[in-house]
Amino acid sequence: MNTTSATLAPVFTFLEHTLTTAQTTFNKLPGSAVIQRYVKSSHQNDPGRTLLELILVIFAIRTLLQSRTRADRNGKNFIQFSEKEIDELVDEWIPEPLGNALTANEQSDLASAPIISGPNGPKPKLAATGKNALNLASYNFTGLAGNEHIKQRAIDTLRKYGLGSCGPPGFYGTLDVHMDLENDIADFLGTEAAILYSQGFSTISSVIPAFCKRGDIIVADRAVNFAIQKGIQISRSTIRWFDHNDLNSLEEVLIGIEKERKKRRGPMTRRFIVTEGIFQKDGAMVDLPKLIELKYKYKYRLILDESYSFGSVGRTGRGLTELYNVPASKVDMLLGSCAIGLASAGGFCAGSRTVVDHQRINGPSFVFSASMPALLAVSASEGINILRNTPSIFETLQDNVRAARAILDRVDCITIPSHPASPIIHIYVRQPQSHQYLQYPAPISASSSSSSAKHHHSHHVSAKDAVRDAEYEVEERLLQEVVEETLSHGVIVTRAKRLKGQEIVEPRPSIRLTLTSGLTKKETEKAVNVLKTVLVKVLSKRR
Amino acid sequence: MALSKSNKSSSIFNKKRSSNATGALPASAASYLSALSEADASARKRNVSPTSTPALSLSSSITSSSEDTILHEPEYLRDPLLASNKDGLLLPARPPTSEQVFNTVHTEFGHCADERYRTTSQHKLGTPLAPHVEQDPPYYILLSTYISYLILIVLGHVRDFIGKRLNPKRYKHLMPGGGYAPLNSDFDSFYTRRLKTRMDECFSQPVTGVAGRTILLLDRYSPDYNHTQILTGTRTRALNISSYNYLGFAQARGPCADAVEESIKRYGISSLGARLDAGTTDLHVVSEALVAKFVGMEDALISSMGFATNSTYIPALVGKGCLVISDEFNHASIRFGVRISGAHVRMFRHNDMRALEALLKEVISQGQPKTHRPWKKILVIVEGLYSMEGTLVNLPAIMELKKKYKFYLYVDEAHSIGALGPHGRGVADYFGVNPREIDLLMGTFTKSFGAAGGYIAGSKALIDVLRVHGHSGAYAEAMAPPVLTQVVSSMASIMGLQVAAGDTTTTGNGNGIVEEQVYHHPGPAPINSIPSWVHLPPALASGQEGSSRLRRLAFNARYLHNGLIKLGFITYGHPSSPIVPLLLFNPGKMNMFHRLMKERKTPIVVVVVAYPATPLVTSRVRFCVSAAHTKEDVDCVLKACVEVGDVLDLRHGIPVRERWSLEEVVERAVELGTME
Repeated sequence: MNTTSATLAPVFTFLEHTLTTAQTTFNKLPGSAVIQRYVKSSHQNDPGRTLLELILVIFAIRTLLQSRTRADRNGKNFIQFSEKEIDELVDEWIPEPLGNALTANEQSDLASAPIISGPNGPKPKLAATGKNALNLASYNFTGLAGNEHIKQRAIDTLRKYGLGSCGPPGFYGTLDVHMDLENDIADFLGTEAAILYSQGFSTISSVIPAFCKRGDIIVADRAVNFAIQKGIQISRSTIRWFDHNDLNSLEEVLIGIEKERKKRRGPMTRRFIVTEGIFQKDGAMVDLPKLIELKYKYKYRLILDESYSFGSVGRTGRGLTELYNVPASKVDMLLGSCAIGLASAGGFCAGSRTVVDHQRINGPSFVFSASMPALLAVSASEGINILRNTPSIFETLQDNVRAARAILDRVDCITIPSHPASPIIHIYVRQPQSHQYLQYPAPISASSSSSSAKHHHSHHVSAKDAVRDAEYEVEERLLQEVVEETLSHGVIVTRAKRLKGQEIVEPRPSIRLTLTSGLTKKETEKAVNVLKTVLVKVLSKRR
Repeated sequence: MALSKSNKSSSIFNKKRSSNATGALPASAASYLSALSEADASARKRNVSPTSTPALSLSSSITSSSEDTILHEPEYLRDPLLASNKDGLLLPARPPTSEQVFNTVHTEFGHCADERYRTTSQHKLGTPLAPHVEQDPPYYILLSTYISYLILIVLGHVRDFIGKRLNPKRYKHLMPGGGYAPLNSDFDSFYTRRLKTRMDECFSQPVTGVAGRTILLLDRYSPDYNHTQILTGTRTRALNISSYNYLGFAQARGPCADAVEESIKRYGISSLGARLDAGTTDLHVVSEALVAKFVGMEDALISSMGFATNSTYIPALVGKGCLVISDEFNHASIRFGVRISGAHVRMFRHNDMRALEALLKEVISQGQPKTHRPWKKILVIVEGLYSMEGTLVNLPAIMELKKKYKFYLYVDEAHSIGALGPHGRGVADYFGVNPREIDLLMGTFTKSFGAAGGYIAGSKALIDVLRVHGHSGAYAEAMAPPVLTQVVSSMASIMGLQVAAGDTTTTGNGNGIVEEQVYHHPGPAPINSIPSWVHLPPALASGQEGSSRLRRLAFNARYLHNGLIKLGFITYGHPSSPIVPLLLFNPGKMNMFHRLMKERKTPIVVVVVAYPATPLVTSRVRFCVSAAHTKEDVDCVLKACVEVGDVLDLRHGIPVRERWSLEEVVERAVELGTME
C-alpha cells in the first residue's frame, strides 16, 4: 500500500502542478473571474444545472464543428456498411445511360425539322431543296423580319456597341439602349415601367418565382404553356387549376379557395391568376374584361402571358389590352416576347414600378444572366416604332387570318380550337367517334394540393391514359405526314411540338399555322389551299 | 499583333472584306499609314515634353485625314473633352514605333506589343492541383465585420419600427392593404431595403458603348439616399476591369464586327422561332459543328441564353430516381435546372474531393432514400472556373473518381471556355484531359467570345436527345444570326483556319513530344467550317492573333493575381484564373472601394459582391482581367489598389517583410506573370 503511494507520489505532484498552472493561466485570461463566479454560484444553487450546461456547451461545439454539407448519417434509414461492403456495392452499381436513345419517331421528327438556307422570313429558301417556300411556321406576325430599316439601325448599333454586353445587368451590363427599350415598351403598352429579359422563353419562368413563394396561391389555366408550367413548379406555391379557357370554372375555383381560407382562418397570402392571352397550345383567346372583373372581385393579381398576343392582335399590335380596350395598367404583370412579337429577341414584363423594380433583384434569369446584345434591343425598339406608325400591318394580318379561316373552316376532317382572330391557328384531326375524352383532362400527376385524393383513382386513369397516348401517337403520325407532304408542295407548316411526358397535361397533337403580314392575302390563300388539299388527301386515307 | 509595315499589300487594312467590296481600298490603306505616322510623330512629341505640349488626340488626328480607316473612332470620341486623354485611357502609355501597326481601337482593345508580357495558360502535367487555401484576416477585421452587420440590422429594424408609425405611407407597398397581401413583405425585403440600398451606387450602373478595355459610364446621382437614381447626361470613361470580356472580343471594330455586319445584311436579325419549328438556319448548323470542334466533342447544341442552357437542358438529363451531386458554389442556373428536373440533389463542400468521394460512397451504398433502391444514374455537376471564387475545379481528381464511381460528369465552363488552356479550350485543355472522357461540356458565349447565349456539347446521341427532350428545342427562340456570326468569327480566330488540306503546322505546341495519354486538342479548323462570306484577315485566320490574346490574358491574370498577393492583399482563387477576387470583409468598405476607384484620375470601375452571393463575412471586389488590358492597365489597377487599400486598411495578406513595394511589383512584372 505504502509502496504504491510512494511510486505514485511524483505523478500526484505532477498533476497538482499542472492543475495549478492551468488555474493561474485561466485566471490570467480576461473575464475568467466572471465565469468562475458564475459556475461556482450556479453549482451551489443546483449541481444538476452544471451538468446540463456542460452538456449544452458540448452540444453547441459539436454542432459548430459539423460540416455544412454533412452526410445524412443520422437518419432512420441509414444502414451501416463496412468499407468492403461499400466497395462491393460501388462495383456492382450499374447506372442507366445518361440519355435514353431516341425512338424511331423522334429521330425522324428531328431529321425532318426544316433547315433554312439564308435568312428566315415569309418566303425562305430551304436548304434541302434549294427552293423557296411559303412559310406558315415561323413567328413573324408583323412581317418585320428582313426589314431594311431595322437592319441598318442594327448595323449602326453594332458599330457603336459591339455585339455582346459582357455582363449581367447588375454589373455594367445595363446599356442605355436597354433602358430605352424598356421605356419604349412601357410607353407603348401604357404601363408605368417594364423590365427586359434576354430570352422570351425564360421570362415567365423567372417572373413567377420572383413573386410567388411557398404558401402563396396560384390559380392557373390547365393548358398554359410549358414555360409557365415550369415557373409554377419552381415557385413551390400552392397551385389550383381551372378548366381551359373557362372563366366560370375559374370563378368556381376562386370561390372554393375563399371558402377554404375562411374555414381555416389562415393568414392572408399572395394570390395570383396565371393565364395566357392567346394560348400557345391551341390559339384560344382569353376573355380579358371578364378576367379583370374576376381578379378585382376576388382580389387576385393577374399574371398574363401575352407572348403570342403581343405584336399579333389589336389595332397596332399592343395585344389583348388593345383588342378589348382595357388599360394595360389593370394587368399586374403583363408579359410579352420581343422574339415573337417584334422579330428580335428577348422578353419583357410590364407593370407598375414596384412590380418591375422587385424583379430587378429577384428575377433569377434577370439577375444571373447577361443582358441582351445591344443591337437586338435596338431592333426591338425600332420594331415598336414601326408598329406604332403602321396600323396597316395588322389590317393585312387580320385579312390573312380571315382568308385562312374561310378556307379551313370548311374542311370537315379537322377541327380548329383557335379564336377566329388569332393569327396562330391550330388544326386537330376530327375525332371519328364522339369525344372519348376531354381536350384537357384533369391533370393526374400535377402537384395539386389535393393530390392525395387524386392518387386514389390514378390506377384506372392510367389505363385510359395508355389508350389516349396510343391514339395521340396515331394522330401525330398522320399530322406529320401532312406536314411533310405540304412541305414537298412548297409550304412550310409545323406540327405543334410538345415535350412528351414532361407536360402537366399532354396536349392534343395539332398542326400549328402562324400567319404573317409578310405574305399577301393571295399568297396566304395559296398556301392554305395547299395545306387543305393535303389534309383532305391524307386524312381521308385513314378511314 | 505587331505586323510589319511591309504587309502593305495584304488585306488587314480593309475595313470590310465582304465579297462585294469594291475599290478605294488601297487609298484608305495609304491614308491609314500616313495618319498613323502622323499620330506616331505627335505621340512621340508628347512623350518628350508631356507638360508643355497640349494633349493630342490620336483619334482626331486620324479622322481629320482619313474617314475610312480601321482606327476610325466612334463619333462620341471626337468630343474634345473626352478625347483629351487626361485620364490616360485613350492613348497607349508607350507610343507605337514605326514597326508596330495595331489594328484595334485602343479604348476597346489595348495596344501592347511587348512579347515579354505573355504567358501560356497550362497546368503542369502530372502535378496535383494545389489546394485552395483561404487566408484568414486578423480577428479584429472579422469582429468589426460582424459588428457592422449587427449595427446595420439593428439600425434597419429601428428605422422600420419608427418609420411604420411616423410615415406609414412609405411602407404601404409592404403592408397588406385592400384585401391584398403585399407583393413583398417587409421581412423578405429587409436585406434589400436596409442593406443593399445603402450601396446601390455600386450596382446596375448604366453604361454605353463597347464593354471593352474601357467603358463609358452614364453618370448618375441620387437625391434621396439611393431610392431613385437620376442620370446627369454626362459620361465618364473608365478602365473596365469588370466585364466578362476575357479575350477582348467585345469590339465594335475589327474583322469579327465586319462579319457580324455582313451577317445582318444576309440573314437579318432574327431566326423567327424555336429550333424544331423552322427556326433553324444553315448558320446554326455550321456554328454547332464549329463549337463541337472547338471544345473537342462529337456534337454541340447552341441555346440563345446562357442561363437557359443549364435551366432547360439539365431537366432533360435527369429526373425522378436520379441523383445530382452539385458543388456548393454552383451557379443559380444549375440550381434552377436541377430543381425543375425533379432529381434528388446532394451538395459537397466547394472543390473538396475527399468530401465528394465520401458522399459518392455513401449515396451509392445507401441508394435512394427510404427505398434503398439503387440510383438510376448519378450526375456530378461542377463548374470549370467558379465565378465568385476564381477557383478551378480539380478536374484530374474528378476524372479519377469518375472511373471508380461510374457517375456522369457535367462541367459548366461558363467562365473557363476561351479563358483557360494553352488553346483556350477550357479546363480540359488546361489540365490536359481528353474532353471526350467528360460526358457533357456546357459553356457560354457571353464571356470570352463577346457574344451571348450558350452551348452544350457531348456525344452525338446525347446531344440529339437534348435537341428533342430539352425545353429549348421545342419552345425557346433560336439564337439570332448576328450573335451566331460573332461566335463563329471569334471562335475561328482562336482556332485558326486550315488554309490548305493537310497543313496542320500553324498551331499546336510544336514541342514534338507525343505522349500517349495526353490529349491534343484539334488544331486549326478547316476553312469550310465557317461560312464562305466570313472573311478573316491573315492575322486572325492563322490563329496568331487568337494565340496572342490567350497568352496576353494568361499573363494579365497571373500578373494581377500575384501582384496583389505580393502587395499584401488577400485574394482567392487560382493564379491562372482571369477572375481575381480581392477580399474586403467589412460591408462599409465595399461602397468606399468602389467610389475611390471610380473617382481617381484614371477612373476604374469594379464589381463588388457581398452576401448573399458570397458568405456573409467575405465581401469582396472581383476583378475580371481581359486580354484587352495592357500591362500598364494592370499596373494602374495595382497602383490604385495600393492607394485605396492603404486608406481602407485592406492589406492583411502575407507578412510585411515578405511584401514587395509597388515599384518592385511593376518592375518584376514578367517574373510575376509566369510565377505559379
